Amino acid sequence: MKKIFAVIRREFVERVRTKAFVISTVLLPVFMVLMVLLPGLMMSGGDRTRNVAVVDASGGGLGQPVGKVLEAATFGDAEGAKPRYRVQVFPADAASLAQVRDGLIAKTGFAKGRQHDGWDGVLVLADNTLASGKLTYYGDNVTSPESMSRLRRDVSEALAGVRLAKSGVDQALVSKAMAPADLDTTKVSDGKLTGQSGKASFMIAYFMGFVLYLATLIYGQQTMTSVIEEKTSRIMEVLTSSLTPFQMLLGKVLGVGLAGLTQMAIWVGSAFVLGSQGARLAGAFGVSAEAARSFAIPGIAPSLLVVFLLYFALGFLLYGALYAAIGAMCNTIQETQQYAIFVTMFVLVGFFAVFALIKDPTGTLGVTMSYIPFFSPFTMPVRWSMTSVPLLQLCVSLALMVLALLACVWLAARIYRTGILMYGKKPSWGELWRWIRA
Amino acid sequence: MTSPSVSVESVTKRFSGHTAVNKLSLDVYPGGIFGLLGPNGAGKSTTIRLIMGILEPDQGKVSLFGSSDGSRKLSARIGYLPEERGLYKKMKVLDHLIFLGETKGISRGDARRRALAWLERLGIADWALKKVEDLSKGMQQKVQFAGALLHDPDLVILDEPFSGLDPVNAQVMKDIVVGIAKAGRTVLFSTHVMEQAERMCDRIAIIARGETVVSGTVAQVKADFGGRHVALGFSHDRERATAILADPRLIARVDDYGASAELKMADGADPEQLLAALVREGVGLRRFEVVEPSLQAIFIAKVGADPAAIPLPAGVAA
Repeated sequence: MKKIFAVIRREFVERVRTKAFVISTVLLPVFMVLMVLLPGLMMSGGDRTRNVAVVDASGGGLGQPVGKVLEAATFGDAEGAKPRYRVQVFPADAASLAQVRDGLIAKTGFAKGRQHDGWDGVLVLADNTLASGKLTYYGDNVTSPESMSRLRRDVSEALAGVRLAKSGVDQALVSKAMAPADLDTTKVSDGKLTGQSGKASFMIAYFMGFVLYLATLIYGQQTMTSVIEEKTSRIMEVLTSSLTPFQMLLGKVLGVGLAGLTQMAIWVGSAFVLGSQGARLAGAFGVSAEAARSFAIPGIAPSLLVVFLLYFALGFLLYGALYAAIGAMCNTIQETQQYAIFVTMFVLVGFFAVFALIKDPTGTLGVTMSYIPFFSPFTMPVRWSMTSVPLLQLCVSLALMVLALLACVWLAARIYRTGILMYGKKPSWGELWRWIRA
Repeated sequence: MTSPSVSVESVTKRFSGHTAVNKLSLDVYPGGIFGLLGPNGAGKSTTIRLIMGILEPDQGKVSLFGSSDGSRKLSARIGYLPEERGLYKKMKVLDHLIFLGETKGISRGDARRRALAWLERLGIADWALKKVEDLSKGMQQKVQFAGALLHDPDLVILDEPFSGLDPVNAQVMKDIVVGIAKAGRTVLFSTHVMEQAERMCDRIAIIARGETVVSGTVAQVKADFGGRHVALGFSHDRERATAILADPRLIARVDDYGASAELKMADGADPEQLLAALVREGVGLRRFEVVEPSLQAIFIAKVGADPAAIPLPAGVAA
């Protein structure tokens, strides 16, 4: 036991001390801060009031009501929010339409301070607009889907209002009837409200899957590489004379795992700090709090955290042991790829299953996959976060996971025992089988 | 008689068709220095790995301190320096030694104290906080040497401990090895450098092609080899001696080093006859001495693998 601890300590300390570890540990939180700030910074350009010229060639005075609706549109619902459009109506008839329109278009696209009387866009109402709903918009922001759908909605609202008013419906009733639905979603678990929105559950599920995927691949490969290094530096020979293969394997996987967990803890910790302090941080960088909130990191329920950590630890050890065994079988990193691809494939399948699960967390696929030990570390926390998983299912899945872990460590230790001192030739599958049986 | 520290009983090890060790037996008794000698590829390292339990024998049995538990259970009592030196390149020297001590079961604090003492003794105390990869090869070897001895083992097994060392460092290591033996502990080391073995070892085993050729105390091995040996040193006119050295009535075997030679006299021939013949021919002699056979000579005679030795002309010998 003391010897395993010595191995764990060595693996942990030597890994945490490397520059690569320190840099990657610091870089991700920096990246996360940027993720919070960037959308805010980018969106801060998006809430500019646009100058829109409305060319009214409808002949029916459509310009005024459209202009009014557009002027009433604001960014957000708050009192005194910024208006979306600054509108000016240009009356025209069928004969002068082209001339007026082209004159305005010539001044369009300069609005960002270069030409003060310039336009951001020109909205042309033709004589058949009211009947057919067809109209044209010329602008510099036509490629922005959000601006365009907003504009379409605002114009539709104006047209609907005019049509209804023409049929004799009261204007006040029209605006009441046109009030949009506002859908808020909240997750229910075990008949209780969890206080999480649907979007938040998705974010957590995705984030957890991603963290495990990343950690398994990075640290699994590191375990493999360090076994190879021990083989090529021949330190293995000294170690085998005082440590059992099991001690070496377990110590290595746990030591590397612990280093990985430390890094994850720092990352997750900084994500939480960002989540709770993101708005304040954004403020410090001159970004509106509202914009920053669009990338808020949601809080995580304690039960989910426990489930996640359990599966994370088990999954990590399972894959770590497999990668270590592959390292023991091979002599160079290049050689390992041939075997590692199988393990990596399991990780990939597990990770991509998360996307299928997010659509249908209670389906057969999801339930089956949360029983298979190689996939359950990815799928079970996701199911737990999105639906309510029966406790029995959780226990069975965990028990299977523990059994698989023991089997894998046993298997890996068998391979390790023979493999770590094999130099030169790569074993065939038949030889591998003999190592395991021996 | 006390039970041997290391006992190898008729052990055979094969690697994909080729037999590395063939029914080899040897016993290393407690105390003193045991030399395992042999040419390259004789099976020295394989034998040592079998003793260390790193390889499993195909046949036969290895026991340490009279038990067949294997070296891992007894690792606290055994120090091992493998032929292929290996250290974690990125680790600091002191940390590395502490780790090696811990794997032998000594506490961290104790390991640190001992590591510092060893680094001091080996004259590399200034390097304690440097990374292993920053050290020269010779220094790395010293570190590994210290790692093998850190836990004061009863039995020290060294595979080619002096290879790759400069004379000064080899001397330092030799003194340590001799010191260990003097303290009543057992040293088993392998080498293909005979002069070293001759000066250091109490007992030797010469192996070739995986089999024991000769074994016993150094004195015994020399006595058994028998014959009268003459060491020559030439000062000038070396070529005039050629015919005399090739005379099978006088000389049974020549181990020629150019400026010197070691001869085994033919049966019935007298060293005085040889001296008279050499003087008559006018060969300039720096040295003429009747000596015990050197291990080198015995080794070459028994193994016949040294290309430096002049084979006797077959026709004349017949």
